[in-house]
Formats: sequence, structure tokens, C-alpha cells
Amino acid sequence: MQKIFKTGLTLVMLLLTMPAMARLSVFACEPEWAALAAELGGERVTGYSATTAKQDPHHIEARPSLIARVRNADLLICSGAELEIGWLPLLLRQAGNAAVMPGRAGYLEAASLVQRLEIPTSVDRSMGDVHAGGNPHVHLDPRHIATIGKALGQRLAELDPAGSAYYQQRQQDFLRRWQQALERWQKQAAPLKGMRVVTHHRDWVYLFNWLGMVTAGTLEPRPGLPTTAGHLVNLKQELARSPAKMIVHAAYQDDRAAQRMSQLSGIPVLELPYTVGGAAKAGDLFSLFDVTLARLLAAAS
Amino acid sequence: MNWTALDLTILGPAFLAGLLVVATHIPLGQRVLARGIIFLDLAVAQVAGLGLIAAHSLDWEPGAWQVQVVAFATAALSVLFLHWTERRWPQIQEAVIGSLFVLASSGSILLLASNPHAGEHLKGLLIGQILWVNYMQLVPVAILYGLILLQWFGFPQRRSSLPFYLLFALAITASVQLVGVYLVFATLILPALAVRHCKQRALWYGYGIGVVGYGLGLILAALLDLPAGAVIVYTLALIAILIGWFVNRAKD
Repeated sequence: MQKIFKTGLTLVMLLLTMPAMARLSVFACEPEWAALAAELGGERVTGYSATTAKQDPHHIEARPSLIARVRNADLLICSGAELEIGWLPLLLRQAGNAAVMPGRAGYLEAASLVQRLEIPTSVDRSMGDVHAGGNPHVHLDPRHIATIGKALGQRLAELDPAGSAYYQQRQQDFLRRWQQALERWQKQAAPLKGMRVVTHHRDWVYLFNWLGMVTAGTLEPRPGLPTTAGHLVNLKQELARSPAKMIVHAAYQDDRAAQRMSQLSGIPVLELPYTVGGAAKAGDLFSLFDVTLARLLAAAS
Repeated sequence: MNWTALDLTILGPAFLAGLLVVATHIPLGQRVLARGIIFLDLAVAQVAGLGLIAAHSLDWEPGAWQVQVVAFATAALSVLFLHWTERRWPQIQEAVIGSLFVLASSGSILLLASNPHAGEHLKGLLIGQILWVNYMQLVPVAILYGLILLQWFGFPQRRSSLPFYLLFALAITASVQLVGVYLVFATLILPALAVRHCKQRALWYGYGIGVVGYGLGLILAALLDLPAGAVIVYTLALIAILIGWFVNRAKD
């Protein structure tokens, strides 16, 4: 009896002391930012990603837990540049957590920290899903990961000052390893320079910009719109004049359009992970780029 | 299991939206079932959705009154048409309703052909986004439903054909935007099916099924981390089967 009582008491004590070792709760819109928070925050942070690598980050299903997680979050990190415009504003409104609203320390928009490509001079509906803030898929240039990582590390220290030394040490360690990897990747990827590739959606521009690759065309006639037969025929004629090496699509995209184009043109299809978790071996940010480059190089040779 | 999502401030607006839909759709649904025009609501809901999408393509804001007027006008036109066909060709009424449903769905797809968010719009129309509802949105719906209930219970003699069809169009135009086509259908038909043999208290059993179905569905969606609308369709079906079985047994 006494033993049970003692165990119970210990449990209660444990529960009471929980807040003392509470971790910083990070809500990421996409897996790449949850992975970055895990690299920089270590055991002082619990991360959660609203979408998985198998889901299109443009869309999301409303689940009660998403609202609860935003409500309890200390920091929200998202790509931004209107990538999540279809669901994040609703989620923020419904959660009503002032700490993570835009403009507050708990809100970090990754795309705003780097130089964005494809910023349109004017936007109207006829252009498809064009983002006024430029192309939002910024994480596929690893140099951006370093820039955003610095900002995220500072933000973590700001929100959890007790751990600032810990965050600084982890950040330095991460950036050092990232720099080494970056040099290795750049050497590895040299043969990819100038290679022409057809993509499904314009979510590879930052990767191609970094490696000097060329977008030979997209399967979507306009961003976000499904492929039409007429567009595929036009693309086929273009590719007959100036050929491409492969057709690339992300793990979360349906590959039917890519396969159809491949049948028409004889160009092979390549699936890339796009983000952390998009392939069995792409479990963190380092392996994401390792797998992406390995697949591109294998397909190019 | 996810206990943090079990929060009244998260589930409260959704539950209140559910209560509003239940309040009007239980009596309407029993009437729909009695008249044998089950798919009327699917067709009218889809036409109201078509009207909403058409209004969107005219660049009006989703909450604007013009959008509501267009949606109700298209829904009202469709019920006037169906009211006419019911008198003209009563034996093929179900076939006409089905055809209207398919035409309205395909019309939405055509209207959204150049919209990159087409998939979301169409899916949102069907499964709804009950969790994104907020209290401010519910105020006009509550007033509208109060008037509908007043008309329904205050003037029972006017439940005949044409006023019924128009009330129905009005109720569905509002509910489709709150909870989506699937939940509208489930709320109308499932409770009505369960209590179809009840002479007395059919209305109260129906209300009971609706309230428990929505409440349980939202709690399960929170605990199991699943999309709320689809879970509620299943809990409504489950409660309807249980209550239907209980009511029929009690009668024997």
C-alpha cells in the first residue's frame, strides 16, 4: 500500500516539475524546417511538421490537432512567400496564439531571409499559382539553409535565453559541418552544370540555380495547373529541337504526367525527394542533398 | 491519442456550427425522406456550390453578400426547376435530380479549369472545413436558421411543396458553406432513416442522433488526429444505427 502511495507521489512530483524542463515547442509548416530546428535545437526543442514529404505543402487537411499544436507553439517556422497561403492564415486565426503571429518573435518566415528568384513584376489570376513574393521553394539551395539556420539559431536563443550557449554551440557545429558538405556537394555536382531538365512544377529553381542547371520546361502549363494534352504536345516539339536529359518530379507529386511525357519524348523520369523524408535514405538535411545529387548524377551518366 | 486537441475553444465553434445545421436539417431531412427525394439535397447543395464558384470567378470576396445572393439564387432556381419536374414527370424525378447533380459537379470543374486551387475548392465544397468556422461567421447563419425554424414550426400548413423546396434551398445554401456537401447529406438523411418508423418523438430522437453524432465525431477527430468532417459522417451513421435498432426493438 505504502509502495503504491510512494510511486503515486513520485509521479505527481514528476508531473509538477515538468514545466521546469519544458522544451521549446517548434511548429514547422514543412519537414525541412522541422529538420533544421532539430539540428539547431537538439534536446531543448520539440519539433512538429504540419506536412510530410509525401504531401503537397500548398494544401492541407484541417485536423483539430493542427490548431492545438499552433496554439501551444513557441515558434512557428514556415517557407512563407505565400506557399502556405491556402491554410496557414486560417490556422493562425483559429489557434489565436499571439506569440506566433506574423511580426512577433515566434514567427519566422524562411523565404524572407534569402534572395528569392522569379519575383513577378505583376501578378494576375491568368498566370496560375504565381506567388507575388517570388518562388517559395527556397530550401533546395543549401546556401539558403545556412543563412536561415543562422536566423533560426538566434531566434531559438531569443525565445529560450537559458539555452543560448547551447544553441550557439550547436549552431556553430552545424554550420561547420554544413560548409564541409557544401564544398563536397559542389565538387560532386560539377558534371551537372548546364544540364537541361524538364520539371513537373517550378519547385527546383533554387537547386538548379545553385548547380547551374537549366529548366527545359515544366509539365504544368502554368504553376499549379494540371497538365493538358496540348501543352504536352507543345513541350514535346520544343524538346525535339533542344533536348533535355531527364524529367524530374518531387516525391509528393503524382508521376502520371511525367510518365506520359516520358512515353511521348523517350526522356527518362527521375523522382527526387524534394524534402526531408521524401526518400527512404533522406532522413535529415544532409542526406536530403546526398540523395538528390546521387540520383541526379546517376541519371545524368 | 492526442489529448491536447481536446480543447473546447478549438472544437467549440465547429460544434456550434454542427448544432445549427442539426437544428434545421433534422426536420427537413425527415420530410425529404417521406417525399422520397433523397438525392434532392445532394443536387441542390452541388448547385449552390456551383453558384459559389461562379461568384468567385467574378472576383467577389467569399464572405460578400453578393456571393450569398448568387448562391441562393442558383439553388432557388434549381429547386423551382425540380418542383416543376416533380409535377410534370413524377415517375422520373430521381433521374432528373441525379442528372442535375452530375451537371452541377461538372460545371464546377469547368468553371475552375484555369484555377490552380481548383482541387482544394472542389474538395472543400464536398468535405467542408468545419474546423475553420469561427463564431462571427455563425451569427448570420443563426439568424437565418431561426427564421427558417420559425416558418417551419410556426406555420406547419405551409410545409407543402413549393415553400418546402424554397426553405430547403435557403437552409442548404448556408449549411454547405459551413460543413460541406457530405455532412449536409449525412445530417439530413441518416437520422431520418433511423427514426423512419417512429410515430411520436421522431423529431427528438433525430435531434439526439445529430447532437451526439457531431459531438462524438469532433472528439474522435481530435483524439485520432483525423479530418473532422469525414469522421462526423461516420459517427452520425454509427449513432443512427444504434438508435434505429433501439427504437425498433422498443416498439416490438
